[in-house]
Amino acid sequence: MLAFARPTGASAEGLLLLSLGGSGVLWVGVGLASRWSAALAVGIAFLGAEQGVRVGLGSSTVDPWMPVYAAGFLLAAELAWWSIEPRVAAWSDLEVLLRRLLAIVGCCIGGAILAALVVLAAGAPLHGGFGLELVGVVAAVAAVVVVAVVARAPAREHVPE
Amino acid sequence: MIESTTRRSATPKLGAYTALAGLGLIAALVVGRPELAALAAPFALVLILGLSLANEPKLEGAAFGLDRERVLEDDTVESTLILRNERPIGRLEVLLDLPEGLAAEKGNPRIISLGWHARRELDLALRCDRWGAYVVGDFVLRSPDVFGLLVYDWWLERRRPLKVYPRGEALRSLLRPLETQAFAGSQVPRSRGEGIEFADLRPFVPGDRVRRVNWRATARRGEPWVTETHPERNSDVVIFLDTFLEARHRDEGTLDLAVSAAASLATHYLREKDRVGLVSFGGVINWLNVSSGAVQVYRILDSLLDAEIFLSYAWKDIDLLPVRALPPQALVLALSPLLDERAVRSLLDLRARGFDLAVIEMSPVPFAPAGRDHLDRLARRLWLLRREALRSRYLRLGVPVVEWDGDVSLQSALEEVRRFKRHARVVHG
Repeated sequence: MLAFARPTGASAEGLLLLSLGGSGVLWVGVGLASRWSAALAVGIAFLGAEQGVRVGLGSSTVDPWMPVYAAGFLLAAELAWWSIEPRVAAWSDLEVLLRRLLAIVGCCIGGAILAALVVLAAGAPLHGGFGLELVGVVAAVAAVVVVAVVARAPAREHVPE
Repeated sequence: MIESTTRRSATPKLGAYTALAGLGLIAALVVGRPELAALAAPFALVLILGLSLANEPKLEGAAFGLDRERVLEDDTVESTLILRNERPIGRLEVLLDLPEGLAAEKGNPRIISLGWHARRELDLALRCDRWGAYVVGDFVLRSPDVFGLLVYDWWLERRRPLKVYPRGEALRSLLRPLETQAFAGSQVPRSRGEGIEFADLRPFVPGDRVRRVNWRATARRGEPWVTETHPERNSDVVIFLDTFLEARHRDEGTLDLAVSAAASLATHYLREKDRVGLVSFGGVINWLNVSSGAVQVYRILDSLLDAEIFLSYAWKDIDLLPVRALPPQALVLALSPLLDERAVRSLLDLRARGFDLAVIEMSPVPFAPAGRDHLDRLARRLWLLRREALRSRYLRLGVPVVEWDGDVSLQSALEEVRRFKRHARVVHG
């Protein structure tokens, strides 16, 4: 649904959007079928790229539905990763399932609110410039580096006291 | 607090979300559209929340127990794992790592959730598929964080011994040795003496006790006659377990058959007040001197649990065994697949030394594949012929050999030995 949301328009642009969305769906399908998390990430990235291209080709005004799209992306990603988690025939408590569902719903709602804040901030009358843009780039890169370092941290072993 | 080595590792989801959030934020800056930052924001939120909320799960205490420590093959044991914790653990995956031969009926692994100051009991039924001495209680615990970005896993060792005895079959009658021993038992020897089993009548001679006078015969014959009786004696039985080699296919093998047969024989002989010993003859030699009583049952069963094939090229013969392990006039019941030359020679040596020997051959034939081509089939036929020749050699020496593959009852194999012994004659000289 996210992939094919308003992909039509000018024929060349429509085809580009359609190809990006189709690629995203294909990669996600491959990831789900083969339980391959990298394929899922590529698929979600393609879907994000489709939205980015759609936004770039559209009007200069900020899309008010963007928080909904963002929450939808996250929901799709969460459900996709849940689907490819290692499955064992385990006897599970119902509480575990409810916790997981609540976590997914909660982070989607939280993500939508955060995306709405971003959209609102984008409408604020701030005059950009090289300095502000540099701060943004540094902040974004720093955030990604920090998370990447945490993500790539080697397995840690210790004996608790 | 439980001391264990916890390993923390990142899931692929963490890397993927990091990449997606980073791509979105950088693309927003490059393109200059805040919508892309809005798309990336939820992924960044999950990362921040997930990494900041991820706490190492800690268990305050854990105990593991089994409802029984000694069971029979195919029985079920109830096990209980008790977990205590202070802080909540949203998702805890518990896997009991079971050795081969044991299987969980259901509920392994199990995913649970623990609240504040929780105490949780997990019951797990274990099916004992194969005999053996096991140690149960190695748990693998795994706990991912709430968003599945990081995962903690560690081992929990609460080991308990579990002995699974082979389930032997009921035997109606047992093989009797040629000679009995001096102690009281349930067997009737050929000799005559004090006892209750009638043997014969004979005329009274001075020195006979009056209580042995058969008054009915005396009245009929007009002179005193006495009743002769057989005494009740026990016998010595040595179970000779060949552990040099075995033929095995998947879960079944000749050693399993031999251990099961040995358990049945030992239990039944000891029940009849005989003295039973065990010789495990193979790469590693173990023996248990003959003895009687209920304690000896468990000694033998425990020794059988330790029986295993230990590959060795060292030449071994029965001279390595102490004399007490093979008492004179004992019935030696050999349980062997007759695959190893050392075992074959040792059995012949036992016969040459005058032991009353019977061989129950744990047939390796069902475990040997028929062969794919002509040469394989020819080799198999030759192998079967050589085995037949070996059996004939034993029979010529007066040693009964019966082939047993577990499909028929052990009782029928014993009956076959008994039939041979009934017609066989011991040749001296």
